[in-house]
Amino acid sequence: MTLPGGLRASLRRLGARRGRSLLAALGIAAAGAMLGTAVTVAYGLSTGFDRAAARADLPDVIARFSPESQSVVDRRLSALPNLRARAYRREFTGAPLSSEGGASNGGVIQTVGPGPRGYAIVAGRDLRGPGEAVVERGVAREWHIHVGGSVTIGETDLRVVGISVSPDNVAFPLAKGPRVYVSSRALGPRFTSRPSTNLALIWLNDRRLLDQTLTQARVASYGLSNLRFLTRHGVRTQIDQAAGIVIALLVAFSVVALGSAGVMLAASASADVQRRLQGIGVARALGFTPRAVAAQHALDAALVALPAGVAGIAIGWLVASGPSARLLETVNELPPGSALLGPLALALLGLVLLVALASAWPAWRAARRPVVRVLRGGDVSPSAGSARFGGAGFFGVGMRLAAARRGRTLSTVAVLAVSSAVVLLMLGLASLLQRLENDPSLVGKRYQLTVTFPVDRVHELEAVPGVAAAAPRYSVDAADSFALGENLRVIAYPGDHTRFENPPLESGRRVRSAGEAEVGTGVADPLGLRPGATLALALPSGAEARFRVVGLVNAYENDGRVVYTQPNRLLAADPSLTPSIAVRLKPGADQDTVTTRLSEIGAQPQAVGGATSSSRALLSVLASLLRAVALVDGIVCLYILVQALALTARERRSVIAVLRAGGAGSREVRLVLTGAALLVVAGAAPAAVALELFLLGPGASRLAASYVSLPLDVSLGQIAIVVGGLVLLAVAAAAWSARRLRREPVVAGLRSD
Amino acid sequence: MRLVTARSLVKTYGEGRAARRVLDGADLHLDAGELVALVGPSGCGKSTLLHLIGGLDRPDGGSIELAGRRLEQESERGLTELRRREVGFVFQFFHLIPELTGEENVLLPTRLSRNGGSAPARARRLIEELGLAEAASRRPAQLSGGEQQRLSIARALANDPALLLADEPTGNLDQESGHQVLALLRQVASDSRGVLLVTHDAEAASIADRVLRLEGGRLVG
Repeated sequence: MTLPGGLRASLRRLGARRGRSLLAALGIAAAGAMLGTAVTVAYGLSTGFDRAAARADLPDVIARFSPESQSVVDRRLSALPNLRARAYRREFTGAPLSSEGGASNGGVIQTVGPGPRGYAIVAGRDLRGPGEAVVERGVAREWHIHVGGSVTIGETDLRVVGISVSPDNVAFPLAKGPRVYVSSRALGPRFTSRPSTNLALIWLNDRRLLDQTLTQARVASYGLSNLRFLTRHGVRTQIDQAAGIVIALLVAFSVVALGSAGVMLAASASADVQRRLQGIGVARALGFTPRAVAAQHALDAALVALPAGVAGIAIGWLVASGPSARLLETVNELPPGSALLGPLALALLGLVLLVALASAWPAWRAARRPVVRVLRGGDVSPSAGSARFGGAGFFGVGMRLAAARRGRTLSTVAVLAVSSAVVLLMLGLASLLQRLENDPSLVGKRYQLTVTFPVDRVHELEAVPGVAAAAPRYSVDAADSFALGENLRVIAYPGDHTRFENPPLESGRRVRSAGEAEVGTGVADPLGLRPGATLALALPSGAEARFRVVGLVNAYENDGRVVYTQPNRLLAADPSLTPSIAVRLKPGADQDTVTTRLSEIGAQPQAVGGATSSSRALLSVLASLLRAVALVDGIVCLYILVQALALTARERRSVIAVLRAGGAGSREVRLVLTGAALLVVAGAAPAAVALELFLLGPGASRLAASYVSLPLDVSLGQIAIVVGGLVLLAVAAAAWSARRLRREPVVAGLRSD
Repeated sequence: MRLVTARSLVKTYGEGRAARRVLDGADLHLDAGELVALVGPSGCGKSTLLHLIGGLDRPDGGSIELAGRRLEQESERGLTELRRREVGFVFQFFHLIPELTGEENVLLPTRLSRNGGSAPARARRLIEELGLAEAASRRPAQLSGGEQQRLSIARALANDPALLLADEPTGNLDQESGHQVLALLRQVASDSRGVLLVTHDAEAASIADRVLRLEGGRLVG
């Protein structure tokens, strides 16, 4: 026998229990909001680069070199096989650039000639004549430049005709200089007749042959000095470097949020079936099959889930899309726009399916039980051995009422624990971000200052009171000779570098002599380097330096794409290298005092930040994104408690009514509900802490960065904030539920039996 | 001493054409030490009248004076306070809290009492006097219907109310348990309390000092 009526009957049933349907819809909407937030953030961030690269037709290789005649470079480049297209630019850095909204002496001006652009115009149009400029979106936003406005390069005013996006670098101000494109004709007829170039954009026919093409390009590049290649993969890495850890952590968070929403929906649907056990018993007694009962529940649930899911996912999208788009803007990527509709629709489908299945499964299980047991209401009567904790006052009665529904209480505890653990994870993330920004020791740096000072006078720095040690620090961006797309940073100190930078050693040993190197796992993994291997580096000067790998290290610096060595071979390859001086302070020394003293002897000290010290704008965007997600999660926690209390109050309305009939006022009813809510909190709080410490924290650390261990620990203060917040939410939920109960006539509760 | 005076009580359920006036000018008075039985067919409004007098519901018309206070003029808070001090309820289905033991159920209202420490002692004495010492340590599910109803009477008396309102207290009991409960209610009334007993059990009505019949929304003595 199947249930008659189908859709119409389901709608009637939902209408008949409007309050409960609304409550269930609120829960689904809350989970949908989490889902919408997670999908918006995760999809936007994970596809942002590819989207922007495709729209801008980002070249496969960007080659930078010292200025050279364009015809000479073109002769060599055009000889390369596998070449689809090429374009040349002349890039000027350190240019004086200004507009009404800002000015910089570090402007980057690129002349644009014929050929593909490598950037996308997002407002206005492309360049047509010499008096025009296209401004990058980051610059336009920071300096409030609009199409039709003007920028000034030196003393030349140019009309802004377009705003562009190119994901070959992060956006200003995350990028060091504001970038503007001008026509090559802007440099005058002399330049146009015999152009020179220092930047070549290369598009390949077959990207799989990138390494071979780069090797051929290096052979063909004889005579070009300071040649550096940057591939699409390298660009992506470079952009990730700006925000890599935090973006990856956000994606990790989204995964956790998805899991949390799933658990919450399943528990909520299961609780709803528990409440309708008697109805299931009646249906079975009338002859409906378990399958029909399950199908009816699935349909009822899906009818609630569909509109609620649409609303929730839309709310999640609304909350997260703004901060997510701003985050993408800071790394010169594009928001997904209508492309997000597909993933959101999939999320909605998943949500509805999950709710339908979560309803159908317990209904099917209940319907398969003996009808008499189901008719009794399953778990409505407390078991003989139920706990006698909490005392026999109103507070204790509330705890016992909640404990009597063991299954539901446990599932509520589980859902609340997961949601609270996510909040803890976010607090851990926030403090990690702060420490990454400010605390150099967190990223293995043991020096606090760098100074510009002659190397042969380092002993003068060491004589300054408060200074423990000072040494030249060489930093060179290079590429692997055999995989020129793999960019990395070489850091060299004379002697033992661990006095100044001490990244944890994962395997092998420390550098002892000039030809040895410790390699960060961020570059060791893709290059397959292990202790004993040989690392050949192509330096910017065009020379090559080889090192024997003696150890692998977990380094934050440059996302683990880093090599520690001694400077001898670097200096042999390029004697013009100049170091900064790393200064380590004595324990307890006052940094400001030492800075003043160093300035007095002519040094120019700069404080050392953490891994993301150059990304303050990005961090503030990330913080707002985290806050948005935390807000959604906090609302979800409140909903979970309100729902649990509403269910308890609904099922035990006769108990509440008898208490009210006996003279219990609002305070006593609130105490009963607070007891019920705090029982859930008492279970959820320690579970949340354990979940965060042993599962989410370590999991997020692993998901976030394979090249380093992130200390995503939560402090006692953060635990206190979350536990205190849960208690406050419990009290608020109890007050709200008690207020609702007070509006209900006492006699209505007395009639319910 | 006059405990309850109700005049011209009106109560209507539903609206428009579906409206049904269950009380239509009902008058009632009850003195301390008196047990009044309220009888009538099912659905005639007996329980409604009980709820109005106990301050659980409000009449659409008429007035109720309980222990010198006009109920229709009281706020919700005032009604709650009045129920706490002056009224005890006994229900057909006992309504004991299944998670609490018998004693815990009886003692629960004493936490509302303003009598400080004396209320719990009084409640424990009641348990002894009603022969419920053994039942007091068990949960309701482990007790007979008679034991549960006697516990619910003890609970109703825990705060020493002036008025006991009993709604079909024997309706869910076997004959012997019913006898015990009725005897107990009689004893309560003789202890200077007013007892209003809603029943359609002739034997229950026979213990009353007065029997009132609810017919057409009015009480007939």
